[in-house]
Amino acid sequence: MNAPVGHYQYDSVDRAFLQSRIDEFADQVARRIDGSLTEDEFKPLRLMNGLYLQLHAYMLRIAVPYGILDARQMRKLSSIARRYDRDYGHFTTRQNLQFNWIKLEDTPAILRELAEVDMHAIQTSGNCIRNVTSDEFAGAAADELVDPRVHAEILRQWSTLHPEFTFLPRKFKIAISGSPHDRVAARFHDIGILTRPGPNGPLFRIFVGGGMGRTPLVGQEIFDSVREEELLATLEAILRVYNAHGRRDNIYKARIKILVQALGIDAYREAVQAELSQMDLARYRLTPEIVEAIRARFAVPNLHAPDNASEIFLADQKRDRKFARWVQSNTHLHRAPGHIIAVVSIKPAGGIPGDATSEQMSRLADLAEQYSFGELRVTHLQNIVLGHVRQDKLYALWQELEKIDLAAPNHSLIGDIIACPGLDYCSLANSRSIPIAQKLSARFANADLQSEIGKLSINISGCINACGHHHAGNIGLLGVDKRGEEFFQITLGGRADEKAAIGSILGASLPEDEMVDAIARIVDRYLAIRGPGESFLDTLSRLGDAPFKEAAYEIA
Amino acid sequence: MKRPTRIDAEEKLVLTANCLLDGHIVWLDQEGRWCSSIAHAAMFEPDTIDAALEKAKAHAQLDEVVGIYDVVVRPGPPLRPVSVRENIRAFGPTVHPQFSKEIER
Ligand code: HEM
Ligand code: SF4
Repeated sequence: MNAPVGHYQYDSVDRAFLQSRIDEFADQVARRIDGSLTEDEFKPLRLMNGLYLQLHAYMLRIAVPYGILDARQMRKLSSIARRYDRDYGHFTTRQNLQFNWIKLEDTPAILRELAEVDMHAIQTSGNCIRNVTSDEFAGAAADELVDPRVHAEILRQWSTLHPEFTFLPRKFKIAISGSPHDRVAARFHDIGILTRPGPNGPLFRIFVGGGMGRTPLVGQEIFDSVREEELLATLEAILRVYNAHGRRDNIYKARIKILVQALGIDAYREAVQAELSQMDLARYRLTPEIVEAIRARFAVPNLHAPDNASEIFLADQKRDRKFARWVQSNTHLHRAPGHIIAVVSIKPAGGIPGDATSEQMSRLADLAEQYSFGELRVTHLQNIVLGHVRQDKLYALWQELEKIDLAAPNHSLIGDIIACPGLDYCSLANSRSIPIAQKLSARFANADLQSEIGKLSINISGCINACGHHHAGNIGLLGVDKRGEEFFQITLGGRADEKAAIGSILGASLPEDEMVDAIARIVDRYLAIRGPGESFLDTLSRLGDAPFKEAAYEIA
Repeated sequence: MKRPTRIDAEEKLVLTANCLLDGHIVWLDQEGRWCSSIAHAAMFEPDTIDAALEKAKAHAQLDEVVGIYDVVVRPGPPLRPVSVRENIRAFGPTVHPQFSKEIER
């Protein structure tokens, strides 16, 4: 096997820390079970270790730092699914993995198993800086300017157990990308960072105050060009201002977005600059030496392809139309000649978005070893990416994916639906999200139809917490409760890319059993009225939402 | 957790919780034991539910349950909760028929 590439190698300090943390939690679990801790005392402790109590069981959320896993870690997740859960896991939009059927008494053993492969569940819950997310094509994409993973790792180390930021007013989410094409929803994060090369090292453009939930807001630019050596000091100052002034009296007003909105971006920037002026900047200076030391802990893939790799790849596509269609939707240009990025859709027609069986997970680990240097990435669209595949081997990889039902040609198309767990699992939900996703993806299963419709995102959340990012969906569905019955509100026009926008509500909410037909009518109307080459969003901005409103509420 | 729900004349109340050890959903039966099937749940009238709730909460740690609350049901048979949410709790996630409470047993 090739050495795993793409993520940081733990050392003995990291490992010793994890062990002591697990011992501590094992003791807390034992004290909860024998009654010396009440549920009220235990709840914050279990949440600090990623353990929630959901509708049917405990749910354990496992961190996948900047979305990168190696084959050995994926295999471990597969075996945990088999041994401790119901034989599957759920990949999330924050590039993590959730197990839905965990027993409290098993969690210390599970955490020990995870630690064997340098994984944990810390900072996947609670009012701290959460697992930092990054571009799923990092270090591979042809359109990338700076590989964001080295800085994502620096942010991981800076934010892990940061003493000052362990009890923030509310959870805090950071995303970082190094491509001009925003694949991390930077403007929908508490802090979104876009990096690019400058004359003397990378520069960082920083957005603050984005987020979804009850008050959806697009993040605003606070700094355009922060230098590398000042990156940590700047982030530290942004967080200090929030920690000092963020509202702790009202959970709905506690996120940084509310503070930024209340102060205004200019006043927030001034407060950060005032903080910076009195900080010991030397302490936070990110020197080239530090950055290089971190970079050295990442193994680099040896990207060498035969000269005729592209020729073979073209011939494979000519020979097999089905393969060619998958290539068209599910690959992305690689920076190295003869290579390509493959997106493995975890959204089979009629399936549950993001759910993978233990068998699929362990096969994905094998395929990663065989085709992509043992490295996998979890995407914020709940898919898996194999980042460095040789073009002449892609056909063989695709045939293997077909065998495990993971070759749906629907990346970024209407079948690539994001849905939160909703009322089937989540104790906060108003409505079920997954069944609508399943029905829609079955309805639009035909690959020709999907490619004819073109890029179109459908995002479904079971309540206003917006875990399914419905505000950012081209078509967004939000579950609402009407006297214990499931209803959905439709929004149109949301997007999470560099033109980030929040969808607008189309009209009154509709009952669950009318949703699929209503969405299908909206899509049919788009196909009927679009101009040549027009995407759904183009048509919407040209004609407004009136035609879609008419279609959605048409009495069948 | 408790959601305000109007209760109609023919409706009753039952008590539910999660098991401390595995999180599984349980219902209080006539003998005062927590059982995994809503079919055996003891039914209460609105004027007796608060006392039952208090009593159950006092025993929660001994009974190894967490998050006790009351749920509005239609007596049936079959006995079913009124809300979609509580139906999903009682009978399992609708998206994984193989995990339904009926099959578990
Ligand atoms: C099933 C258990 C879950 C619970 C109890 C839960 C709870 C919450 C809550 C309360 C919020 C709102 C926080 C706030 O606005 O301050 C939130 C936000 C969020 N959740 Fe979840 N969630 C769950 C599962 C998930 C899953 C499976 C995903 C990914 C697929 C997810 C992704 C997110 C994201 C991205 C946000 C941020 C939205 C924002 O920017 O405000 N959550 N979640
Ligand atoms: S959006 Fe609501 S229903 Fe969906 S997972 Fe988040 S909290 Fe639960």
